[in-house]
Amino acid sequence: MSFAAGRFPVPVREDMATALRRSWADIGRPGTWWTGPERVAIAALARAERIQRNEPPWSRDRREPSEPLPEKAVEAARKIGADPAHLDREWANGVIAEIGDSHYVELASVVVTTAAADAFCEAMGIDHEPFPEPEAGEPTRERPDGMGDIGAWVPVQVIDWKRANVARAMSLVPEGVRTFFRMVAAMYTGTASDFDRMVWDHRPLARPQVELLAARVSALNQCFY
Amino acid sequence: MLLRASSDAVGAEVDLSAAVEDAADGGVEDGAVLTAFAEAVVRATDDLDAARARALETLGPEKFVEAAATVGIFNGLVRVADSTGIPSDAMMLERTADVRGELGFNRWGGARASGVAEAPA
Repeated sequence: MSFAAGRFPVPVREDMATALRRSWADIGRPGTWWTGPERVAIAALARAERIQRNEPPWSRDRREPSEPLPEKAVEAARKIGADPAHLDREWANGVIAEIGDSHYVELASVVVTTAAADAFCEAMGIDHEPFPEPEAGEPTRERPDGMGDIGAWVPVQVIDWKRANVARAMSLVPEGVRTFFRMVAAMYTGTASDFDRMVWDHRPLARPQVELLAARVSALNQCFY
Repeated sequence: MLLRASSDAVGAEVDLSAAVEDAADGGVEDGAVLTAFAEAVVRATDDLDAARARALETLGPEKFVEAAATVGIFNGLVRVADSTGIPSDAMMLERTADVRGELGFNRWGGARASGVAEAPA
């Protein structure tokens, strides 16, 4: 079992551990556009590059992916994993031109899930979780309706949207949203009504403490959003 | 925006420069311990073990896990925003207009997606 309770130096809420386990298992499953082995290969590329994030890109130790991937997919997994402050629309357009917008968004969803889980392990002082064994099977290749242009680099859900934009950023691949935002709910927001309240009593930390951490991590990554 | 709003809600005055300064407490309880912990994780610095031990000792196990979770998940959330070029929410732009320029946020690459980019310093 991934993220087993015995791995943590101090107890972790069961709902958080469960969310981590479920989302981690998702990485090894066939996705919407990538196979299970391809998704694990993407996650491994992102992790390997992120581990070397303090090295300049040209001096990092790079190995071939465990599964054949398009060149631009390899580049994207590495760059989103380790250099998120240096992404721009022109670069994203180049990747999307080669692999397609849906493949790009799913790749990003795998990378962000990996980065969050790995950073949590580093914060807790434990080794990174081993990747799940890839599962056989074909991607579902289902593109959702109701996508449109709000100025992002990729189409996003545009019908009846009343929440923060970041929550629809990956809506071109709903399964990717479910995988990552399951962790977001357990590790940050709680329920939608919890998130809307500025005074929290459902978490041990006070909300200003949580938001100070959020602001500092965002600033360290030069994330404008 | 949420740092300021949540501090306002409890009648506290927050110093938003803590978002961009090392080991600053921002007027938040145990703030310096929290920011030093976040910095050590994100930067993978040599003092990560010490920052983690200080966070655990100061916060206690329950709060420490929450802090680790917040640092972890925001390492994912920033990548969601920056890999998709999602524009910031109008309300956030409006409520942070007075501090974004001062703190340097408008010079970051992601500001272009929201139409408020300034030239890099």
